[in-house]
Amino acid sequence: MAQEQKGTASKSAVVKKLKATKAASVYQKQWFFGMKERVEREGGDFAVLNADVPMEIFRAMDIPFVVNQWWAAICGAKRMTRKYFGLMQENGYRPDLNSYDAQALAESFDPDDKKVDADGNPMGPWGGLPTPTISITRLTGDVQSKIFGLLAENYGADLYVIENTIARTTPLNWYELAADRWEEMYDKDRLDLAVEELKELIRWLEMKTGKMMDINKLEYVMNLINEQEGYYKKTRDLIASCHPVPVTVVDTINAVMQAQWQRGTEWAVEHAKSLYEEVKALADAGVAAVPNEKLRLMWIGRGMWQDFAFYQRFEEKYGAVFMWSMYLAMGADAYIRNNVEEDPLRALAARFIGMEDFLHMPPWNSSWFIQQAQQNDIDGVVYMIPDNDIQAVEGSYFIKKALEDAGIPVLAFHGDPVNPRKWNAETMTSLVDEFIETRVIPAHEKKER
Amino acid sequence: MSIRSCAMESKAFLALKDAYDHREKGAAAARAAGVKVVGELGFDVPEELVLAAGMFPVRIYADPGKSLEETDKYLEYSFEPVVRAQFEKIIDGTYGSQLDYLAISNSTDVIIRIFLYLRELKRVEPEKPVPPITFIDWLFTRHRLHQMRDEFVIDLFKKQLEEWAGREITDEQIREAGAVLNENRRALRQMAQLRHGQEVRISGSEAMVIIGAGFFMDKKEHTALVKQVTEDAKSWPVLEGPRVFYTGANHEDLALYEKIEAAGLVIVGEDTDWGDRSYDRDYNPELPVIRGVVDRYLFREFSAKKAFVSQRVEALDREVNAAGAEGVIFYTNQYDEVATWDMPKQRKSLESRGIKHITFGRMQWPVSRNEGLDEKLAAFAQEMKGGAQ
Repeated sequence: MAQEQKGTASKSAVVKKLKATKAASVYQKQWFFGMKERVEREGGDFAVLNADVPMEIFRAMDIPFVVNQWWAAICGAKRMTRKYFGLMQENGYRPDLNSYDAQALAESFDPDDKKVDADGNPMGPWGGLPTPTISITRLTGDVQSKIFGLLAENYGADLYVIENTIARTTPLNWYELAADRWEEMYDKDRLDLAVEELKELIRWLEMKTGKMMDINKLEYVMNLINEQEGYYKKTRDLIASCHPVPVTVVDTINAVMQAQWQRGTEWAVEHAKSLYEEVKALADAGVAAVPNEKLRLMWIGRGMWQDFAFYQRFEEKYGAVFMWSMYLAMGADAYIRNNVEEDPLRALAARFIGMEDFLHMPPWNSSWFIQQAQQNDIDGVVYMIPDNDIQAVEGSYFIKKALEDAGIPVLAFHGDPVNPRKWNAETMTSLVDEFIETRVIPAHEKKER
Repeated sequence: MSIRSCAMESKAFLALKDAYDHREKGAAAARAAGVKVVGELGFDVPEELVLAAGMFPVRIYADPGKSLEETDKYLEYSFEPVVRAQFEKIIDGTYGSQLDYLAISNSTDVIIRIFLYLRELKRVEPEKPVPPITFIDWLFTRHRLHQMRDEFVIDLFKKQLEEWAGREITDEQIREAGAVLNENRRALRQMAQLRHGQEVRISGSEAMVIIGAGFFMDKKEHTALVKQVTEDAKSWPVLEGPRVFYTGANHEDLALYEKIEAAGLVIVGEDTDWGDRSYDRDYNPELPVIRGVVDRYLFREFSAKKAFVSQRVEALDREVNAAGAEGVIFYTNQYDEVATWDMPKQRKSLESRGIKHITFGRMQWPVSRNEGLDEKLAAFAQEMKGGAQ
């Protein structure tokens, strides 16, 4: 995985102590090879989905799939980035644009993808994707239809797109409404449309694959997800209440993120449960991730995959612990939809249309960050603003202002989570050092008084 | 070449150029007469409804000379430069004093983000002089479900206009507005016939003025002037030089076209929203009024931002053929790069038909900031003429 790569300028090692993190890494590989073997043996359909496509439908219909962004991380970890950069260029495409989203597209240009080298090692990442027959994206950005359309064309797959709408209603307390009162969270017409989108997708998939979408199976899958995310909520709440915290983002990001791609499976529930139990055991035993914890930091942004050790560089010097990231907290607050049995499709619609709102649209994101900072007793926020992709912009000014107005210091910087060339560990460490010394410590002392 | 003396001798053209050069005049006159002015950000604000509400639509445009100090506080790097400059005028009070309302259509990602930011700005910093805003959340994929949704969305826009206007907008008023706009579009298509084919009598720059003036003036007045200038242009000298089609970034001024024309190329069409695409397809008066509006904006020629690559390849082939172009100029600004995903297959298709092309990517805005552009255009013109590449 990308997170196991060491940043080129990293000086400290990443310590991962949770068994759940290791288990997730091991499982995803086993799962991929099992899925791949099945697709090749059965010769059936195989789908590539953008991350915001409701994968629950595919799970319920037993259609094998990978999520595009998950696969991009695998490609990165298998060091395909440079080769794919070249392949995009050779085929006339700008390799610097949406490069993370375009990894699977780049792979589709690779004539060696399924070959082995002279030593018998596979040349494609994990021997390459099975050949997709289905390519599906939501139109949450202008380039999505382009990338998934080209991918479909290159593989001879069928393309399907799901439209996206913009919220008129913007409740500031969405995280309180999401699980049980989601009808209040959205404009009714948005939700109605999303249900119709799901019905059309299901009918299309049924015709394409010859498989039926049994509503009982969808209900079962949805309930598994509720159970899984419920454990994330318990884990998040537990960590938030611990002083000192038993684990940091280095422990939780990977454990949660990898399992999120498996949501709707019994494995994912068991994994989330094991994560909670492991963290609880540490908390019960009074284990501190950072024994001299003094300052609690929040990380806003994508995971710093290229330099995970960055998160730990401030522990010894300042007792500053990065204890919050969106990965666990989104699981806790954004996914759960109770009372699925009343209308599984509407509950699913109420999950998938909100993700873009929650993460990328002020005031949904800014109000949540404040609530989370308060729940987690945060002393300071380090915020990596994505600067290479219009789809990822999220109102950084408003987020920073909202947090600062609430009395929480924010260090905002522009960065790229997957491009080591744009990351200077020393500069960033100095920046955070200064931030802690000049903003976080004084704010913390003021809070203590 | 650009704007020739023959054009400057046409009274109609001079009137159009005056409106194009002095873009605030029309709106100011409308306001002085008690007419509400609606700014349009995005290229899919249905003017049929704005006119039917008795309001005066004007297009939001950037000022390349303005400092972006305020904007830089709010927008991340990945907002394209032209939109940044438009945003500045919205938040610094320029448009606050010129407009009564601002209608934003989701014509591209960056505009959607601008809407979200403005909405939030009004919530957290209500003292900013931003006019009242509405957002039109079109769906552009051509499916039944989305067509029906669009009718709902456009009906919401109509209701918002009614609230602003303080009165109901009747079906008859929408049909009348549709007729006014259809006549305007037909006049522009007549004008465009003098740009297309073997005998080109209107240059790209002249056409930009003729088309662009319409974004800032009364539609009926614009139609009359377009008709007159079309008559006048029938006697203008035929332009000599390789005929090229332009695709890519929108241009709100003549800077790029003047450079292309200075290289000896003749621009016979473009797929931009400040050019040919703006008057493509009529409002259909035979449909129920809202459906007729949806029909016009959903089914006109594809935009680079909201279409599949395959659709864009076919669109460019169609447009190049219709314009009689011998070459194509691809041009994208830095951070406005969605169209680059279409280009490899578009180029391949053009090459299969022997049509030459040149690509300019990662370009700076304003155009004057690009070094070496003139030389590259000159070399392309030379190539088009059959000389060395």
